Amino acid sequence: MIEKMNEDTLLLKIENLYVEYSSEQEKVKAVNGVSFDLKAGQTLGLVGETGAGKTSIAKAILRILPDPPAKITSGEIIYEGANLRNIPEAEMRKIRGSKISMIFQDPMTALNPVLTVGFQISETIRIHQSISSAEAVTAGKKMLEMVGIPASRYDDYPHQFSGGMKQRVVIAIALACSPSLLIADEPTTALDVTIQAQVLNLIHDLQVQKQMAMILITHDFGIVAESCDFIAVIYAGEIVEKGTIRQVFKHPSHPYTKGLFGAIPSLTGSVERLHNIEGSPCDPTDLPDGCKFSPRCQYACDACRKKGQIPMENLGEGHMCRCLKAKEFYDSYGRR
Amino acid sequence: MGTLIEIKNLKKYFDTPRGMLHAVDDVSFKIERGKTLGVVGESGCGKSTLGRTIIHLHESSGGHIFYDGKDITHVKKSEIKELRQKMQIIFQDPYSSLDPRRSVEETLYEALKLTKKYNRDTIRLRIRELVELVGIDKRMMHAYPHELDGGRRQRVGIARALAMNPSFIVCDEPVSALDVSIQAQVLNLLRDLQDEYGLTYMFVTHDMSVVRYISNEIVVMYLGQAVEKCESEELFENPLHPYTKALLSVIPSVDIDSPKKRIMLTGELTSPIAPAPGCRFKVRCPYACSQCDQPQQLNEVLPGHLVSCCRVREIGHK
Repeated sequence: MIEKMNEDTLLLKIENLYVEYSSEQEKVKAVNGVSFDLKAGQTLGLVGETGAGKTSIAKAILRILPDPPAKITSGEIIYEGANLRNIPEAEMRKIRGSKISMIFQDPMTALNPVLTVGFQISETIRIHQSISSAEAVTAGKKMLEMVGIPASRYDDYPHQFSGGMKQRVVIAIALACSPSLLIADEPTTALDVTIQAQVLNLIHDLQVQKQMAMILITHDFGIVAESCDFIAVIYAGEIVEKGTIRQVFKHPSHPYTKGLFGAIPSLTGSVERLHNIEGSPCDPTDLPDGCKFSPRCQYACDACRKKGQIPMENLGEGHMCRCLKAKEFYDSYGRR
Repeated sequence: MGTLIEIKNLKKYFDTPRGMLHAVDDVSFKIERGKTLGVVGESGCGKSTLGRTIIHLHESSGGHIFYDGKDITHVKKSEIKELRQKMQIIFQDPYSSLDPRRSVEETLYEALKLTKKYNRDTIRLRIRELVELVGIDKRMMHAYPHELDGGRRQRVGIARALAMNPSFIVCDEPVSALDVSIQAQVLNLLRDLQDEYGLTYMFVTHDMSVVRYISNEIVVMYLGQAVEKCESEELFENPLHPYTKALLSVIPSVDIDSPKKRIMLTGELTSPIAPAPGCRFKVRCPYACSQCDQPQQLNEVLPGHLVSCCRVREIGHK
């Protein structure tokens, strides 16, 4: 590290990131000009539907996109002042799993079935820190206990654990080297709601304890509301709205964000008809001109369909929205 | 209106090498004609098995199933075929429940042919009608499942279930695999179809907000047993069973102004294989005591509100 990090320095800065998957027949534009930044200890929720490009962003940061077919076509990923796109692979390997680590969606497939969970945890520690294997075992046992699994289960195999326990093991592996950034890709989607609550609580406690920043990828607005500081809503590989939780949840100003909130059945209040968004997510091999959401948007006009990316509108205090009519929607909250 | 479906002490056990697995253990309820009964619970609680047992995709291990007053628990193979025209199912995963080698039209054709009610001309008309009914574009008639997105596939699954003109449909997590914007479309479609044709649904799901939206009555299941049953609104207003209370308290909410008090459960679902008598939730229950080792029964605690917990009166309610 060149300069000492303090709370106000940026930990991660993504600038105009583009990711493409190409085959002989077609090009899939998965990520289209995504920019955001993250400071130490902060949590950003990336929300979007299947195929919106959430996981591609995460994999681009860690440089684990399958290449080919995937390629970062342009953009910068600045982590602690260094552009991760330019550093050699050997350096990148030192960052992966130690400074930036990732929790994958499916704990059933993220673990190696023929190795004990203890080995898999201490392996990470041994690779990144120069310690003896005995010390690694002790550290591995400590990690197991930290995620609420008795150290006596160190020598058990993944199939001996339930889904929730496996996800705890995955978390233990991810956090074993005290990373400064954790990318959690749908960490609780495969789990039941009572277990989900346990796992989210655990991640939150560890995050506070280790002062770790987190990018939480999910499709569940409820999870974002309860565990994130900021939110970025993604549609067709673009961030369409971002801001603090309060800004976006109180005054959603992009028609897509508004639509999503209307489509979630409520747990309180009267049971009204759901306001569904018409149509289906757009085909990433054939994105529309201008606003990608315009074919499904009831407010779309000719200006929305003009070539080129719709600019981000600043609605104040960092609440950004990629819609030509954002100001109008935003102001309508004031009048009510 | 009257009762369309009734089950009494229904059981479904599976013989496994490690012992008898009690997937559904002594569940009783009625579903009124034209209404929706929601069945909620976490994975492994037996909710899907229950739905499948009712429509005879599994042979029941005990108890009774009544359809329109008639005991259909033990019917002949030939009668099952006839029954299935009245009782249909929509499956969870629209990716694996459609034949990848059949187009939308062929899938529906196959279903309609089995009814033996249509000739070559009327069957085409009926397919067209069904496709329109569930909101699939006519251009998509000849498309294969891999050409359709999840929402459209699920619409095909719904059309296939409707092809038989059923009066009862088991909806087994029909929107769990769908994105929220598409989920809302399918839920609205199911509601519209119910209004139009007076369909009766048993809606199986793990999603509490979905079940609230779609159901008139809700049964909460835990490890094969019904632990609470009441009207949908009542369940959310006034959950009484400790499990339901905890379940509702941990659902992440989008309401950022009123943070809920969460009841965190420790531990996980215990094994459904050869369970001990007594309350199956007791090992995770914050209120468990020695009384809980006795077998529990669903008792009417408030009018129309049934709970299976011996301490429910002490724990109290709103």
